[in-house]
Amino acid sequence: MAEQTTPVTAVEPIISFKGVDKAFGSNVIFEGLNLDVYKGETLTIIGGSGTGKSVTLKMLIRLLKADAGSITAFGEEVTTMGPRNLLGLRLRIAMLFQGAALFDSLTVAQNIKYPLIEHGWKDQDKMDARVREVLDQVGLGKIEHQKPAELSGGMKKRVGLARAIAIKPDVILYDEPTTGLDPINVRRINGLIRHLQATLGVTSLVVTHDMDSCFTVTDRLAFLYNKRIEWVGPPEEARTAPLEILREFVKGGSGILTEDLHI
Amino acid sequence: MNGVVELIGHAGGVARLSWDALKATFRPPWNINLLVEQLDHAGIGSWSIAVLTALFTGAVMAVQFAVGLEPYGASLYTGKLVSLGIVRELGPTLTAVLVGGRVGSGFTAEIGSMTVTEQVDAIQALGADPVKKLVVPRVVACVIMLPLLTILADFVGCFGGMLVAMNEVGITPRFFLEQVIDTLGVVDLVHGLAKSVFFGYFIAILGCYQGLHTHGGTEGVGRATTDTVVAISITVLVSNFLLTNIFLKIYG
Repeated sequence: MAEQTTPVTAVEPIISFKGVDKAFGSNVIFEGLNLDVYKGETLTIIGGSGTGKSVTLKMLIRLLKADAGSITAFGEEVTTMGPRNLLGLRLRIAMLFQGAALFDSLTVAQNIKYPLIEHGWKDQDKMDARVREVLDQVGLGKIEHQKPAELSGGMKKRVGLARAIAIKPDVILYDEPTTGLDPINVRRINGLIRHLQATLGVTSLVVTHDMDSCFTVTDRLAFLYNKRIEWVGPPEEARTAPLEILREFVKGGSGILTEDLHI
Repeated sequence: MNGVVELIGHAGGVARLSWDALKATFRPPWNINLLVEQLDHAGIGSWSIAVLTALFTGAVMAVQFAVGLEPYGASLYTGKLVSLGIVRELGPTLTAVLVGGRVGSGFTAEIGSMTVTEQVDAIQALGADPVKKLVVPRVVACVIMLPLLTILADFVGCFGGMLVAMNEVGITPRFFLEQVIDTLGVVDLVHGLAKSVFFGYFIAILGCYQGLHTHGGTEGVGRATTDTVVAISITVLVSNFLLTNIFLKIYG
């Protein structure tokens, strides 16, 4: 059973994975995955490549279906949710994809308006104002009319983040938010994750390989290993955790980890 | 054996996607802009291919019939044969194969790129339905545009045949047209156009299905695009045989 540390201030988790199994054909990803996420915290999932970190995020908003077990968000079961409730769930949980996943054929403004339109916004002036507001929040100027192809990697990530926060979600899922970015953009994205948590009070679930980022943004760390969450706790305790493979991972011994994981 | 199982799996996947697309077609809201964009891409962007193919097909048929019928003194009937062949078979089929190659592979490349860059996931995550956004406008556009392109191909094919018949056999345009009008009935037109509706559906659904199931990065997109061209060509040719038999039984 995974060891779980509950933040002192939290009462009930707003997101909960209980005994979740997931496999792609014969490739088993999870066997009895358990994880709780509490309101207002930033929880980071770390683990080797191919261990299913992104799958965890995608199962939470039902981009992928769990084979067995229970996933609840805001007290509602996600695995059996109907289309209407699923739309409501995706209004409350937004996701920043690894490559930002901006729509190439749309401008920055149209990308950001996309979720607003889908969730029933009709007033163009209000939407334009919201676009400017979220672009300001992520520190981008007048780029509304540019296409994604004209933006740098860091700008794409920030536009992706602007699109994610446009609908004022309660939870933001970050899939490798700093991968492929230069140190300045890494710092900028980390700062934004912290800033959004502080100013908007959002709960953040981050998936990353980047240990520096992880220690910068996270309140709690979850270590995915051996098809389940093997350890959860404050990041500073990870260095002295009883799990040797976790200590190696935190120190940056990814070579040892990869070998042990048979990846 | 594995190939057969895989083929059945794909057929099931296409059937499922078709059902999802059918349900999504009648579910509001409807985005006319997306449909207009696809009508332009699938139809307006393909007219030149349809015209060129039909013109030279009609022309070559006329050459063959004129030469082949000459020993029997029947070259005068070139117009009848060309028009019947074009309207019933070659107009819809060749248009579908060539336009299908262009449009279907385009659908796969576009949707496949979106799939491997997680844009399709993003559509869902942002609260929209990828089938409604990506598949429905393409299927509806192809089902509308393929018959229109086929009508264009029918006219141009007959025109190509007429040009050759005038030069090779010395038939006057008036005589050629009288033969065409005499030969073709409404049933022949319906026969060809009804098939083109099915071909339009096959082109769009196969292109979209391959795109949504693309994996393996940019290499996967290339592979899926090639597979789409092959799948569409085979499906059009096989279904043409089956549909022709069905329509002949219905209309005679």
